[in-house]
Formats: sequence, C-alpha cells, structure tokens
Amino acid sequence: MARQGEISQMTKKATGAVGAKPRRNGNDPLGANSEIGRKLKQYYDELVSDEVPDRFAELLSQLEKAEPTQKKA
Amino acid sequence: MVVTPQFKNDLLGTIPSLRAFAVSLTQNSDKADDLVQETLVKAWDKHESFQMGTNLKAWLFTILRNEFYSQMRKRGREIQDSEGIMTERLAVHPSQHGMLDLEDFRAALEQLPEDQREAIILIGASGFSYEEAAEICNCAVGTIKSRVSRARNRLQEILKISGEADYGPDSISAQVMGSNAA
Repeated sequence: MARQGEISQMTKKATGAVGAKPRRNGNDPLGANSEIGRKLKQYYDELVSDEVPDRFAELLSQLEKAEPTQKKA
Repeated sequence: MVVTPQFKNDLLGTIPSLRAFAVSLTQNSDKADDLVQETLVKAWDKHESFQMGTNLKAWLFTILRNEFYSQMRKRGREIQDSEGIMTERLAVHPSQHGMLDLEDFRAALEQLPEDQREAIILIGASGFSYEEAAEICNCAVGTIKSRVSRARNRLQEILKISGEADYGPDSISAQVMGSNAA
C-alpha cells in the first residue's frame, strides 16, 4: 500500500510505521520541567479546547453537497 | 475521486488544533477562523493529493500556514497588529510571585517574530517532531531548532525568568523569594 517514492519524509514519519523516536521527554528544552514549556502547553490547550463554531461543520456539509468537485478559481 | 465521509470526519476532528494554530499565527480569533475556513476549503479541493493513513494534521497545518503567509504578503503585514493586540502587548511585566500568568505569557508570545512563534508552537505545543515542523515550515530541521531556541530565550527574557531546567532553580528563587518571603 505504501509507495515509498511518493511519500514525503514527513508523512513517512507520521505514519508511525517507521521506528518512533522516544526523544520528547529527555533533554527537551520545552519539556515539563521548563516554565516556558508548561505555559506554552497551557496556552495552546486552552485554544484547542475552545468551542468550535458551527460554521465549520456547516461549511464541510456544503462542500459535501457540492460534490462532485466543481472547481472554483 | 470523491471525498470520503472518513476524510470529512477527520477534517472535523482536526479543527480544534487548526484553530489553535491559526490563533497562534494571527493573534486574532476572527482572522484565525477565516484562515481555518480557507484551509478547509483548500484541503477539500485538493484532497486527492492527501494520502490516507499519513499525517492529516501536518498536511493541514502546512496548508494553513501557506495560506497565512500568502495572505500576509497580500495585505502587507497589517494582519498582525490589528485590533486590540497593542494594549495587551504593553502589559508585560514579571509577576511578583514568580508564577507566570497566562496573560503575560500570551503577550510575550505575541512579541515574537512569526517564524519563531510558529516554531515554538509546533514543537512545544502542537506535538510535532522537529522533522515534521521543518516540513510544515518548508525549512531545514536545524533552522527549526534554532528558531525554537531563540524563541525560548526571548520568552525568558521578556518574562524575566530563567530556564530552571538548564540553570537550576537557585537564581530564580532568590529573586522571587526576595520580594515575597514567607
């Protein structure tokens, strides 16, 4: 299923099929031991947990209805 | 090929992360949502170029980021400083208790140049590897590493904190306790 030639470096790593590197925790300068790292996650997690407006689900439903693809400029 | 319901669901699932990344870039929730909307439309249009089973989130982040920078080029950077950012930006000062307030942190983050801000967000918050972040930002892994490091140093400077992971807590706690000995 995987055609190596077409898969970018990024996606190769992302599939997890290639050995995962457990390097996130050790000497990570933004790890849980750093104040910056903690605040960064807190800042971001707050944004992620923000309620998603309906407009996006509606948008995707509209796009779905508009199939098969009509190209717009 | 028609867009599958699976693809649509996966898109829906990534929206919270896309919005968070978009807010980090634009510093403005209305603009962020517009950016997410454009990203979704683009992703839908070019869904065939996405390979099922690969990292959809990274693919979408790449689209969103490209869209952000192309909008910024078109608008000549007015995108960043609009609507109420300045007031918060001026309000950065070190906390008395050494407890970093989230608002202070947000204001400090806003002072970073975009390239550093996005790098530290991708690595420190969005959960991407350096390699993935490099691919999203279309630059070398070493470039991401140096941006993250500069971003972190700059944040520490702005917030007047030291990296306790690196230097040990002594120098900070001395300062902190000095004003708040209990």
